[in-house]
Amino acid sequence: MRWFFLILAIASITVALAIGPRGEKFSTPPFMLFPDMDNQYKVKAQKPSEFFENGQGARVPVEGTVPFGYAPPKEGVSAAGPLDFSRGDDYLNTGLFGDFYGKGFPGEIKLDETLLARGKERFRISCSPCHGMSGNGAGIVSKYWAIPPTANLVDPRVKSMPEGQIFWTITHGKGLMGPYNGVLSVKDRWAIVAYLRGLQAASGN
Amino acid sequence: MGNIFPRWTNLLAIKVLVCLGALGTCAIAVAWYSWTPKYTRVGYMPQQPIPFDHSLHAGQLGMDCRYCHSQVENSPHSNIPAAQVCWNCHGPGKVKSDSPKLEPLRQAMDTNYEKYTGQPIEWVQLHKVPDYAHFSHQAHVNRGVSCVECHGRIDEMPVVYHAKPLSMSWCLDCHRDPGKVLRPLDQITNLKWGADDLDPESFYAYVAGKTKVSVEDLKKSDQGKAWDRELIGAHLQKAWSVHPPQDCAACHY
Repeated sequence: MRWFFLILAIASITVALAIGPRGEKFSTPPFMLFPDMDNQYKVKAQKPSEFFENGQGARVPVEGTVPFGYAPPKEGVSAAGPLDFSRGDDYLNTGLFGDFYGKGFPGEIKLDETLLARGKERFRISCSPCHGMSGNGAGIVSKYWAIPPTANLVDPRVKSMPEGQIFWTITHGKGLMGPYNGVLSVKDRWAIVAYLRGLQAASGN
Repeated sequence: MGNIFPRWTNLLAIKVLVCLGALGTCAIAVAWYSWTPKYTRVGYMPQQPIPFDHSLHAGQLGMDCRYCHSQVENSPHSNIPAAQVCWNCHGPGKVKSDSPKLEPLRQAMDTNYEKYTGQPIEWVQLHKVPDYAHFSHQAHVNRGVSCVECHGRIDEMPVVYHAKPLSMSWCLDCHRDPGKVLRPLDQITNLKWGADDLDPESFYAYVAGKTKVSVEDLKKSDQGKAWDRELIGAHLQKAWSVHPPQDCAACHY
């Protein structure tokens, strides 16, 4: 009996030390006590899939098809690839009339307070790291790294740009700036243009 | 007839029971302590293909979570950013583009790079609910539940680790009493937000506009109560009529 409790005490201490406290950092995948149906063989967002040849669960739409809620690309749009189902040649989606940047906002965009508030929020999320909260080109990135100067969005050069050109620049990028069509929806891009117009008016340049 | 069993066997059964009891107690203690996500998942800190530093990007630089996780408000799945998003800042001629840490990014994006493959960066997923439970980011962040409630202070983590258990009982803690975690919608991605950051006057005006109760009445009912998360959350829960589902089919469908 005495021996039993001595051994039990030693074993308990050993096990306790091996287990360690909760919340300790570890890098091996977590232990699953009952893994039943925790990891199902279905395609999940942004996950790999062994079923497909290239190993990616995310699929490119079959050529010639259009997902629900999207319009097929318009006839004669020169840049339309198989994935450009949503990119019509209208002003709303391109910022262009033919080969020219359009001026003013497209009719589908209602200029109101909600749009400006949305534009402010999105501008602060996606634009301000480089262009700064006030759009003056002195964002946080320029404080730490000597990268080529970022455009000052409130100077007369940008102020005189037509709305369509600013929209096009957000969509496709320019110079060192990358395209933001993947993270900002069409409406959000127009909202940012609207908010930027407000910033420019407030800057007094 | 002599005794078949010697005298020491009298206590044997009791001794065996006591020993088994002690052993069982120890086993249960181990299971209670370690067979739970509080032990098995909290602290999971896998190595990522690129040692992306959230404390630098989200903390020091103050970038919004949604710069990268851009679809979190529109989708149940909070997206891992496409390599293009990293490339916006770390492309050629920009920030730290030659760093060897960014090797997988260059392989994915830099068509002029000799080791270019075009293959996506294989980030390791840390936070995961079982596949039979459906969690929607969209439903939570658009109703005043901040990232920090489930993911912890990501903006202070050089390497992200699993901070909360994400167990079912832990989910239900909030679903039964959501008031303690709700916050104004414009502070969702502000992980260090606290009750002191909120101006009571404008907050009461907002709640009054939503609930049709006058500011005076709201203030009167709050007299003597501390200005804290619980009070703010309780008002927001009423103003938005937040009723988190507690039935099985809410998540298991």
